[in-house]
Amino acid sequence: MALNAQYEAIGKGFVQQYYALFDDPTQRPNLVNMYNVELSFMTFEGVQIQGAPKIMEKLNGLTFQKINRIITAVDSQPMFDGGVLINVLGRLQADEDPPHAFSQVFVLKPLGSSFFVQHDIFRLGIHDSA
Amino acid sequence: MDYDYLIKFLALGDSGVGKTSFLYQYTDGTFNSRFISTVGIDFREKRMIYQSKGRNYRVHLQLWDTAGQERFRSLTTAFYRDAMGFLLLFDLTNEHSFLEIRNWIEQLRLHAYCDTPDIVLCGNKADLEDRRVVTEWRAREFAEINGLPYLETSAATGQNVSRAVETLLEKVMLRMETAVDMAMVPGQSGKFKDTGEFMLRSSSPAQKCTC
Repeated sequence: MALNAQYEAIGKGFVQQYYALFDDPTQRPNLVNMYNVELSFMTFEGVQIQGAPKIMEKLNGLTFQKINRIITAVDSQPMFDGGVLINVLGRLQADEDPPHAFSQVFVLKPLGSSFFVQHDIFRLGIHDSA
Repeated sequence: MDYDYLIKFLALGDSGVGKTSFLYQYTDGTFNSRFISTVGIDFREKRMIYQSKGRNYRVHLQLWDTAGQERFRSLTTAFYRDAMGFLLLFDLTNEHSFLEIRNWIEQLRLHAYCDTPDIVLCGNKADLEDRRVVTEWRAREFAEINGLPYLETSAATGQNVSRAVETLLEKVMLRMETAVDMAMVPGQSGKFKDTGEFMLRSSSPAQKCTC
């Protein structure tokens, strides 16, 4: 499959759509449609899980309600299988907590005329020393 | 420097058990906390007098709080480092937060300056008696088995909040007084002009206490 020339727009569009669902507690369950039942990996704060059901279990288990998010940068690259690699750098605020930096990496895998999230790696930007 | 001891305490426990409210209540409702975003630590301070053997010591107490990162299951080792005592909270109206105490103790023993750190266990939200799911007897038994002082607290009414902090301070001061070599206790190697400064130090094996 050829490189997808629209990778930049796809990356930005996906990130906007993904976080719109994630950050609204009433919409969060709809994220299930972004993942494949088996062929999706997530690494959330170092914990690796596979498949949409387990991923949603993880996301639904998060105890905050709303999230405020400021995206600093979305960097995308076309992949040789027609997919898109996306790196997101930003800050988030869960409910009334102090804001944290975060980084998140996605790999979008083409499926027909659309994509699903094949890989998803999330970390808060907190460190072992100040 | 107008204090004799700088003491650092950490509030730990599941999200929603009332750690921030607890510390807020203890610092007389003042919320002038300082946030260090790189390590995700929020802290507030209070001065107090500690009496021992007829002498008064001026204690500068720093109370460290998480900044919500435990909701992402994300606590770095920086958080535990250099703390001298731990306020371990659960919510009396939340069974899961009580069951998680065991994990928190394990984390503490792993990351704290020694494997038997001073801990005070607090069953918080004692004012919500009608919603209580963890009995006092059950919590006391657990605390006894683990060798921890146990107090039922309420960040809302202030019940036992000061007592919990004072109980922890007594344990920590006793440990310092009985330490053969004061340099073996974290934070006693020196006092710091800038409260932001001490967090930059990385702990070296030499600082570990041998308890």
